[in-house]
Amino acid sequence: MNENNEFEPKIAAFLCTWCSYAAADLAGSSRIQYPPNIRVVRVPCTGRMDPFLIIKAFNMGADGILVSGCHPGDCHFLDGNLYARRRFVMLNEMMQYAGVEAERMNFTWCSASEGKRFAGVVEDAVENVKKVGPWQGFDGQGFSQEEGETTVEKV
Amino acid sequence: MKKYEKITEEIVEIAEKLLKENTVEKVIGFGIGIFTEEVTPIFISNPENADRLVFNSKAEMSLAKYLLNYKDQKVAIVAKPCDSRAIATYLAEDLIKRENIKVIGINGCPGIENNTACEECDIRNAVISDYTVGKKMTEEEIEAKLKDKEDKIEKMTPAERMEYFQKEFERCTRCYACREACYVCYCEQCFTEGNQPEWVGDSVKLNDNFTYHLMRAMHMAGRCVNCGACEMACPEGIDVRALAAKMCRSAEELFDYRAGIDSDQKTLLSDYDVNDTESGFME
Ligand code: SF4
Ligand code: SF4
Ligand code: SF4
Repeated sequence: MNENNEFEPKIAAFLCTWCSYAAADLAGSSRIQYPPNIRVVRVPCTGRMDPFLIIKAFNMGADGILVSGCHPGDCHFLDGNLYARRRFVMLNEMMQYAGVEAERMNFTWCSASEGKRFAGVVEDAVENVKKVGPWQGFDGQGFSQEEGETTVEKV
Repeated sequence: MKKYEKITEEIVEIAEKLLKENTVEKVIGFGIGIFTEEVTPIFISNPENADRLVFNSKAEMSLAKYLLNYKDQKVAIVAKPCDSRAIATYLAEDLIKRENIKVIGINGCPGIENNTACEECDIRNAVISDYTVGKKMTEEEIEAKLKDKEDKIEKMTPAERMEYFQKEFERCTRCYACREACYVCYCEQCFTEGNQPEWVGDSVKLNDNFTYHLMRAMHMAGRCVNCGACEMACPEGIDVRALAAKMCRSAEELFDYRAGIDSDQKTLLSDYDVNDTESGFME
């Protein structure tokens, strides 16, 4: 919650170090403003992303997730993101089937030169998650503010 | 029922021949237990005992998993169509050697009692076999057997779906019978047992139960053969198969992929296509 008592989501953002992480850097050094709701986890490639990391983020109280890697064809390791793409599509299918709103799961591509696009992606992701409100956990019990604070940091 | 008896007769005949000729050291099949009337897995190595093999509507176990214990022996195995798909998956994942196994495949499988997966089964004939028993079902016959059941979960809103699964997984005692019964859950160390990292807490809190089921289902993506063994094994009557079955449907719809159809196929997630769908991605 912010000072106006509006919901401010916490989003676990898994960014590929070769592109999206650099894009976030570029957005910063170009002084492009974007919402401060993401908690960045830097990954060596989206292909390294075990879908479990995403499920675990929800288990620990993240309101939503954002995964961003290199555009298909531009992967630093040639095809890591292409393996990742299938995984995310399947994970997304399953999570939605289990009742996790589509708005909480944000996947996209962002190259190192797309600082501006990255800011836009974060804005969209935050807007998406705001639409569906705070994540209540798989047990529907919710997470207390303090708990959420520490657990998301651990994710 | 006639069908089961006929299949049993043929299995006994083939098993006896294989053991007599020393083609295999062991036949893995279904038999009646010594102390109970229940169907249990049995391992026959003496041709005189081949007549202990049976097949009936209670032969629900997944025998294919035993193949992993006899990797270097020549064994024959009785395989329902879903078991044969599991064997094809093992071959695709390079776990067993084709030349070491003889598959006694059941064609025109009459189904297993109380297994809801059988109502959705459109395979009905063994996908790989060295010897076949039963009578091959034609496409039309398979079609006629399919119950046109629409998925009630698919129609619900996200909140209703969440509630449905919460009600199911709330009862889970984390006995892992579903995992033990599943063909593809053969890992020496399951993620549930690791603590570096600890993927999921191992007490029966709903948040963790739900997480366990999501994670297991994620491991089923493109590997589950929709056999229903997990659901049959669950002592709490939980709809364990729902998530895995959804993965089967999605794999087919989005990637035109079915697990365990061909022993040469790559598994869904160990492959990609440059033109793969980006369904569910941001604009
Ligand atoms: S998840 Fe269930 S239905 Fe799928 S292969 Fe395993 S036991 Fe069979
Ligand atoms: S749930 Fe996953 S890790 Fe555990 S045995 Fe099954 S496939 Fe292996
Ligand atoms: S068999 Fe049933 S109770 Fe046991 S772990 Fe699986 S779902 Fe839970």
